Amino acid sequence: MRTVFNANQNQEAQILTDTLIDNLTETNSFILTNALEIKNLNFFYGSYQGLKNINLNIQEQKVTAFIGPSGCGKSTLLRSINRMYDLYPGQRAEGEILFYGENILAPKQDLNLLRSRIGMVFQKPTPFPMSIYENIAFGVRLYEKLSKAEMDERVEWALKKAALWGEAKDKLKQSGLSLSGGQQQRLCIARGVAVKPAVLLLDEPTSALDPISTGKIEELINELKNEYTIAIVTHNMQQAARVSDFTAYMYLGELVEFGKTDEIFIKPKRKETEDYITGRFG
Amino acid sequence: MNQVNHINQAVFAVRKRTNAIGLFLSMAAMTLGMLFLLWILSILFIKGFSAINWAMFTASTPAPGSEGGGLANAIVGSMMLIGCCTLISTPIGVLAGLYLAEYGDRSKVAGITRFVTDIMLSAPSIVIGLFVYALVVAQVRHFSGWAGTIALALIAIPVVVRTTENMLQLVPGSLREAAYALGTPKWKVAFWITLRAAKSGVITGILLALARISGETAPLLFTALNNQFFSTNMNAPMANLPVVIFQFAMSPYDNWVSLAWGGSLLITFAVLGLNILARVVFREKVQG
Amino acid sequence: MPDKHLSSQFDSDLNSLCSKLLEMGGMVESQTSTAMRAFTEMDLEICNQVIEREKAVNDFEIEVDSACTEIIARRQPTARDLRLVMAVSKAITNLERAGDEAERVAKRTKRIIESGLNHNINVAEIKLSGQMAISLLRRSLDAFARLDTIAAAEVVKEDKQIDEEFRAFVRKLIVYMMEDPSLITTGLDMLTIAKAIERIGDHSKNIAEFVIYIVKGADVRHLPHADLVREVYR
Repeated sequence: MRTVFNANQNQEAQILTDTLIDNLTETNSFILTNALEIKNLNFFYGSYQGLKNINLNIQEQKVTAFIGPSGCGKSTLLRSINRMYDLYPGQRAEGEILFYGENILAPKQDLNLLRSRIGMVFQKPTPFPMSIYENIAFGVRLYEKLSKAEMDERVEWALKKAALWGEAKDKLKQSGLSLSGGQQQRLCIARGVAVKPAVLLLDEPTSALDPISTGKIEELINELKNEYTIAIVTHNMQQAARVSDFTAYMYLGELVEFGKTDEIFIKPKRKETEDYITGRFG
Repeated sequence: MNQVNHINQAVFAVRKRTNAIGLFLSMAAMTLGMLFLLWILSILFIKGFSAINWAMFTASTPAPGSEGGGLANAIVGSMMLIGCCTLISTPIGVLAGLYLAEYGDRSKVAGITRFVTDIMLSAPSIVIGLFVYALVVAQVRHFSGWAGTIALALIAIPVVVRTTENMLQLVPGSLREAAYALGTPKWKVAFWITLRAAKSGVITGILLALARISGETAPLLFTALNNQFFSTNMNAPMANLPVVIFQFAMSPYDNWVSLAWGGSLLITFAVLGLNILARVVFREKVQG
Repeated sequence: MPDKHLSSQFDSDLNSLCSKLLEMGGMVESQTSTAMRAFTEMDLEICNQVIEREKAVNDFEIEVDSACTEIIARRQPTARDLRLVMAVSKAITNLERAGDEAERVAKRTKRIIESGLNHNINVAEIKLSGQMAISLLRRSLDAFARLDTIAAAEVVKEDKQIDEEFRAFVRKLIVYMMEDPSLITTGLDMLTIAKAIERIGDHSKNIAEFVIYIVKGADVRHLPHADLVREVYR
């Protein structure tokens, strides 16, 4: 059984852990559970409906990709999962999203705690205005109390996970902004991974990067999925085909088709899906 | 060039001419502005340079009729007033600006705060001086450095609030979102991320506020007044450069007039220095 | 044929690929037909025609395979487009081999003629299966052109008849050769010719199976006929 939470979490997290473990079914670890179950999700920007009755499950330790044309709602869906929309009045979600059994759309859900369990990396690399070391330590310090040695270790671990340790180990004290675009994005990934979340949400993580950086990050995703559940939004279909295990095709706020990536790209069930991925758009 | 035959040569020529005229007019305007600036600086320099000597920084202001003297008490007094004012107005201004930018999107309090700040920004400084006179000086029945500090703070705080708010609003939303996505609570996002990102802009704002209050005379007239002798007692009238210049400039004594020019030169270069420093600090942020 | 992509160049590339396949198919069909005529009329001249034209068929295989590779490199086709390109690439191989079989028929016929030996064997089965093979090839190419899975399923079924004819001819040939050993040399050549025709039928069957793969996404090679039909009607 994979540990979802770290030993040094605070009281709240401990209570949450116990509740979640109670809620899990009694199956052995070979049968994968769903990290997230989205049920009847509807999303509104004011009076405009951005998501219509979405139902899908995201399996743990797999990569699920969301594809679709602009405005189809894939980013909206991703941002509903870590409740980023709460920052903006006028945006609301209805329905349920079960995170290991717990409905995270409930009003009493602690948002900050939720976001420490479900991390997000954005399209534009956004290193904090601090040193590389501090960038990573910042998130960790929010919820864990580590000694200097332990923090050093965690920073090194996170940077190694993001394949950035080799390039950054001699300049940990330098500002995060001194890195190149691809390196900055890997720093953001290291930052997200350092707090050991259960789920990582990637919103078009390589759109702003050159092909080599993109390749490195795709390789990273391949390694990370052994320990984390990953959901990635991408407008690059070939990327979705390369990195994901499951693909969801969305159009105009609806989930058109969801299935194994191999099936979607070789033998999709819906004509709309086939039209989109073969480039036949009316 | 000879293949591009869809370009109308006449139209092109007119455009070139218009461009040249526009360029000439802007350069002329710039030269005119620079001319006056250089004129002021040169007059200041010529008249004030002769007063600059060691005595100006060591001796206190001379009594009417006596020879020599310096501006030591006024310089120290000004520095103390400005220093105390900075200590008060920086935290208040920055935190108020932070509140307005990060928390004050819809609340009524924020709207009112902004309104009041705007009014204070353009309030005549003499009115502020009189206000503090009535509120503080008249109550305790004596002038003091503290009253002067309060008056200067009332001028500096709106500047700091306004620049802090503007600089914080320039921080891209994506940076805040990245911090929220880690589970950072709102106050930490505002303080540790947004404020830090806008650091050089905020510092620039503070420096500009300092530059502004360095030369304010009217508020000090009714609050700190002036002190002929060297004193560091903030509870009593405090010597300061602007008021000294005010007193000495139109006096019949030559050494007083000379000292007034010297003081003016000092203030001008201080303000110039602060402005340049502000620009350097800001440029580092843009490149760093 | 497929409806339009956003990229008209892609459309035209795919269309051109299919056209080339059909052209090659037509060429092989014509080769088979000519070879059968050579055999029926025992005409040396016609045999040589077939043998000469075989090179053109081989050239076609290389040309179309190269076009398939280019499309994959440039377009990263997915779903139906991918299945189409994969199917064309394989169908070309089948056509090329069918062309080889037609050439074999011609070569063996030529040997029979040049040997000058008696060839009084009743070859009704060969003539019949020859007709069937030509028809099957035509119908499989037709099914490909129209992406008609039902017609393709029919082709797969009828290939069995050619197999039947072949077995019948082998039984007859054994009897002939036992009765008159001087016929053995000619008999063996005729066996090869009959086998070649049976193989042409098999290649047509494969092409039909690829049609089902393109349209339905199901790989029906080696499936019993009942399962194949189920995939067609799914």
